[in-house]
Amino acid sequence: MLRQLTISAEPIVEADLICQRKLSPTTGAVVHFLGLVRGTEAGTAINALQYEAFKRMAEHQFHLLFDQMEQRWPIESVRLVHRIGTVTVSQPSLWVEVIAPHRGEAFAACQWLIDEMKRVVPIWKKPLSGPAQQ
Amino acid sequence: MIVKISFYSYFKDLTGCAQTSATLPAGSTIEELLKTLEARFPKLGPMRKSLLSAVGVDYQTRNYTLKDGDEVSLFPPVQGG
Repeated sequence: MLRQLTISAEPIVEADLICQRKLSPTTGAVVHFLGLVRGTEAGTAINALQYEAFKRMAEHQFHLLFDQMEQRWPIESVRLVHRIGTVTVSQPSLWVEVIAPHRGEAFAACQWLIDEMKRVVPIWKKPLSGPAQQ
Repeated sequence: MIVKISFYSYFKDLTGCAQTSATLPAGSTIEELLKTLEARFPKLGPMRKSLLSAVGVDYQTRNYTLKDGDEVSLFPPVQGG
């Protein structure tokens, strides 16, 4: 299974990620997810989220999740990009792509990966309501 | 023995620092480290139920026995995505 993990303060450019997609003759499904920063957090208007990661542990925990994905589903490829730093409203904070022979496993694995990420990967966010600093 | 401690997210605000160290008797557990830290940083006390702990890059439970030089990380529930 191809794995590509990026935890970065650089903006997520979905078009570039899609251009880099690698397909094979066995590929039957590509599921990708783009998570955006909403303009409210717990009912309060915000301008941005400030993301912080314990990067070394986050990378390790993501790879443990990829190991589990590989055991549970016949995944061909997983690529995941998570932002750190300041992400303004409507900008992407997370991009995930799962490629598999069939849509069932691609959808299931992508959903599972995001759910597990929110449970174990040490990344936190802090709402910013003043002018955002890039 | 001496262990290094890193705080993440709002735990840095509660303790006023990102990193510290603690001197503990040999064989001490994470639970015993937490008691020591709560005496030094009382605002950590109310976080006890939700606090997550790791040694190196792996999660560990409160009864994990620490070793000299261990790098312990303490943080609130994660919020990625």
